[in-house]
Amino acid sequence: MKSMSMQTRRFWVIINYLSIIFILSFFYTGNYFNWTVLVLIGEAASLLLFIVSFIKGFIKTHLWRMSHASTKNLDERQLQVLLNSLKYAYSIFTIVTLIVIYGFAVAELGPIDVVMAGCLLYIAHTLPAAIIGWKERSI
Amino acid sequence: MYYICSMRSRKIYNRVAILRQEKVMSRKELAEKIGVNFQTVGYLEREEYNPSLDLAFRISENFGLPIELIFSTEPLKPLIEEIIQLKTKLGEP
Repeated sequence: MKSMSMQTRRFWVIINYLSIIFILSFFYTGNYFNWTVLVLIGEAASLLLFIVSFIKGFIKTHLWRMSHASTKNLDERQLQVLLNSLKYAYSIFTIVTLIVIYGFAVAELGPIDVVMAGCLLYIAHTLPAAIIGWKERSI
Repeated sequence: MYYICSMRSRKIYNRVAILRQEKVMSRKELAEKIGVNFQTVGYLEREEYNPSLDLAFRISENFGLPIELIFSTEPLKPLIEEIIQLKTKLGEP
């Protein structure tokens, strides 16, 4: 089984999170201004990029499987790696959420909406896997 | 009051790679015998991961050697040198 190189893994993880930023940018552009054809195409392209990068960065690298595996199926090193990634993910997610909540408050957009909440939940769910993919030489 | 201990773990040197090759065993085979993922064997061989005491004992049992012949906190000499030294210590010719 040939595993993906660290650089390739990092590349797809970055693309995946960038695609979320694009999805949100096009969504809010359409929502607050106008859903033009260009905005719709941009949103669709971002969604496509998101799906492709998710498959490439999380599924094909087995990151998703490792971060969602039962602890009984992981050995001591994998458990250590997973716990470490959870520690980092918790801190990063807290900072990202605080920035988003305060960003919404400062911009007077009210409470965060379903789309933003969904994206935050996705980030919370994938961050441990992304950190493992970023830091580990082989998975 | 809480005290934060800053004990940094030392690098543990080992002979896992050489012993595995001697036994003509693949990483996957060794991994199955000691109950870890085959990538973990790679990490152990590259000395990028310090095993737990339990795993170290499982490795030593698998190779049938004392734990101190496989793991050390100091860089390891070739095994033959170690055996000669041991024999000299015991007074064997």
